[in-house]
Amino acid sequence: MKQVPAEYYQLMEQLQAVDFVLVELSLYLNTHNDDLDAINQFNHYAKERKKLKKAFESQFGPLQQFGNSFSAYPWNWDDAPWPWQV
Amino acid sequence: MSTNFKTYRPYVSPFDPCKPILEKAYSTPPNLYMGFQPPNLPQFTPMEALRAGTLWKPLFDTWYGPLEPGGKGGLPQ
Repeated sequence: MKQVPAEYYQLMEQLQAVDFVLVELSLYLNTHNDDLDAINQFNHYAKERKKLKKAFESQFGPLQQFGNSFSAYPWNWDDAPWPWQV
Repeated sequence: MSTNFKTYRPYVSPFDPCKPILEKAYSTPPNLYMGFQPPNLPQFTPMEALRAGTLWKPLFDTWYGPLEPGGKGGLPQ
């Protein structure tokens, strides 16, 4: 059986952490829309997320569907492991 | 001293078969006492924030009950 490497979990965890920061900052900025520091931080992490997403997807296949991620050849959206299998 | 633990004294029935608990405590979240969140609060690192459940340190709460060991629980001193 194929096992996912340790790096899969590292990258996924980083992605989750950055996503959480983005959620928190989004909620904060909804009520503090003139906080420049927070906006800069938000944009910094948005960029960071793009980098992480690219690194993850280049190794482990698409994270999202409907044009938000690219596919390799052959089509690898339905490749294991599925989210609930890791 | 100000604390996130609040107490109340429930009514005790004279027919209560158990030993009455005269004072009960409950935990309240820190955001209740902040009002409008000020900018530039100290933050957790992203990895810490993921586990703490909040990005901002002053908004962190262990959320242990007053009777649970391990937390900073216990009745207010």
